[in-house]
Amino acid sequence: MKNANLIGVIFLSLALAAGVTGCKHRPPSVTPIPDDTGGPPKPAAHASPDNGGVAGTPAPVTTDTIPLSNGDYAPLFEGAHNEDRDKFKADTIYFDFDSSTIKESEGAKLQDVANYFKDNKKVEGLIMEGNCDERGTEKYNLSLGERRALAAREYLANLGVDPHRLKTVTYGASKPVDTGHDEAAWKQNRRDDFVLVTPK
Amino acid sequence: MKMHHLTYLAAVLLTTGSVSAKPDEPIEIRKPTTYVVPISVSGFEGEVESVLTFDLSVLGMEITTPDKAAYLVNGSQNGRLQGSLTAAGTDHALWARAYAGGLIRAQAHAFANDIVKEIRGTAPIFQTRIAFRLQNGGTTEIAVSDFDGYNAEVLTHDGTLVDGPCWLPGGRGLLYTSWKNGGEEILEHNLSSGERRVFAGFPGANLSPEVSPDGRKAAMILSRSGSPNLWVCNLDGSGLEQLTHTRDEDSCPTWSPDSREICFVCRSGRAELQKVSASGGPARPVRLAGAYGNSTSPDWSPDGKWLAFTSGSGNFTICVAPADGGDTQKLVAGEDPCWAPNSRTIVFCRRVSNKRILCLLDVPTKRVKDVRQISGSCSEPAWAR
Repeated sequence: MKNANLIGVIFLSLALAAGVTGCKHRPPSVTPIPDDTGGPPKPAAHASPDNGGVAGTPAPVTTDTIPLSNGDYAPLFEGAHNEDRDKFKADTIYFDFDSSTIKESEGAKLQDVANYFKDNKKVEGLIMEGNCDERGTEKYNLSLGERRALAAREYLANLGVDPHRLKTVTYGASKPVDTGHDEAAWKQNRRDDFVLVTPK
Repeated sequence: MKMHHLTYLAAVLLTTGSVSAKPDEPIEIRKPTTYVVPISVSGFEGEVESVLTFDLSVLGMEITTPDKAAYLVNGSQNGRLQGSLTAAGTDHALWARAYAGGLIRAQAHAFANDIVKEIRGTAPIFQTRIAFRLQNGGTTEIAVSDFDGYNAEVLTHDGTLVDGPCWLPGGRGLLYTSWKNGGEEILEHNLSSGERRVFAGFPGANLSPEVSPDGRKAAMILSRSGSPNLWVCNLDGSGLEQLTHTRDEDSCPTWSPDSREICFVCRSGRAELQKVSASGGPARPVRLAGAYGNSTSPDWSPDGKWLAFTSGSGNFTICVAPADGGDTQKLVAGEDPCWAPNSRTIVFCRRVSNKRILCLLDVPTKRVKDVRQISGSCSEPAWAR
């Protein structure tokens, strides 16, 4: 399993390198293989030579994008379902200004969400809602909010959650938690909310 | 008085370098374009007077008394509108016209169009429409109005969220992102029948549609490949193609007037403007000197010469730069600029206390007029053109 994991990481690195050097080519679709026994693969998005890269390890690895497909999550999300906004309220993650990078401080919350899905064999899903503060123009914020939701989706998939159960939505700056116009408000609004979806 | 007029004429000649004096060629005097023109409006009252003064101000003219004016507008409004335009210091009007049919408001706009064509030489805009996003409380709807905010009509009543609209050519309909079915999808809204259909409802985000000026394609932001990237398709939905493959998000597409290129926002460290061929290939940055911070929400002028965009984060500034890159002109505080069909006027949005209002900017003179206020917060304007 560790080996399989390592191969997966190398494959991701190659896919990323191909994406960077050959812009004309479509990036390969990479879906991480869930690893139920060997512990979650360590998300590598924050690894860098400066902050703990072990000597001899490969260059920092960034998670690749994971394509979205309707077939797999359509029945769950588009059929009759309940949405529970409280279940993961404490796991709302926050972002730095104009950034979609998952901060290390938010990792434990995502691990908490991932644990729920790993322990739970029922057909449940998660709506991941990306939000922004008001300091971007509307259409820019919509794309940034989607990128924030996708960043969390990639992170959870790397922790072993089936990405087909993870649906992203962006609200840009349309759903602020705090309507103030200062950093105290803005930092509450740069967030991903997670909504548990269960079939009716 | 005479002196003032002569000074003014001299200014016209000096700043436009405009007299072509070669033999056998007709002498052409170009229109004064770049500075404020003092103009007087006499003989009208009420709605006609307010329409004329508003419209002329939008094109960078200063309403003043006849003794200080470079041009004099005179006329009457008994039953139908009659008006003339005279250059100061001359005995004869440049022309005199009568306007019939329609509402008196429309006649006044038509008269103002003729005055502006004479003085500025630009395409008429006073009988065009804008569409925008209207927020009341936590919901947003799509609304349309005349360019000056009059005759506003709220088109959607979904009670959820929408994002700012774009026009189909000829003003026959709109495309916009709606959240009425949960996640975001792009709807096509036929303005004559009121019918709506899902234009794009792919997994993930379906955002920021922009129809090409030739009416054949739409650019949009989709995240179905795993990241918000730029895609194009034909208006019937066929021919879907992914144009960018960045991991960071792309946003805010706008078409070149020949429908061959798309300018959009790519984030690589900070948000910058890039251009890509609508038929694919590598994207190239638009080099902007003097732009600072994020450059977002570009809009390509209909004459192809300019990109208007929003600069900054929070304290937004409307900027204009040559479409091929070059020096950035910072104009006024505001965001989300959209060019009028005359490639001179811009409608944009600015934030005042807890509200957003739409404003009209005359780019050469940097003069701003607020459009008529309607209840709610107005943003993301799109000019029908």
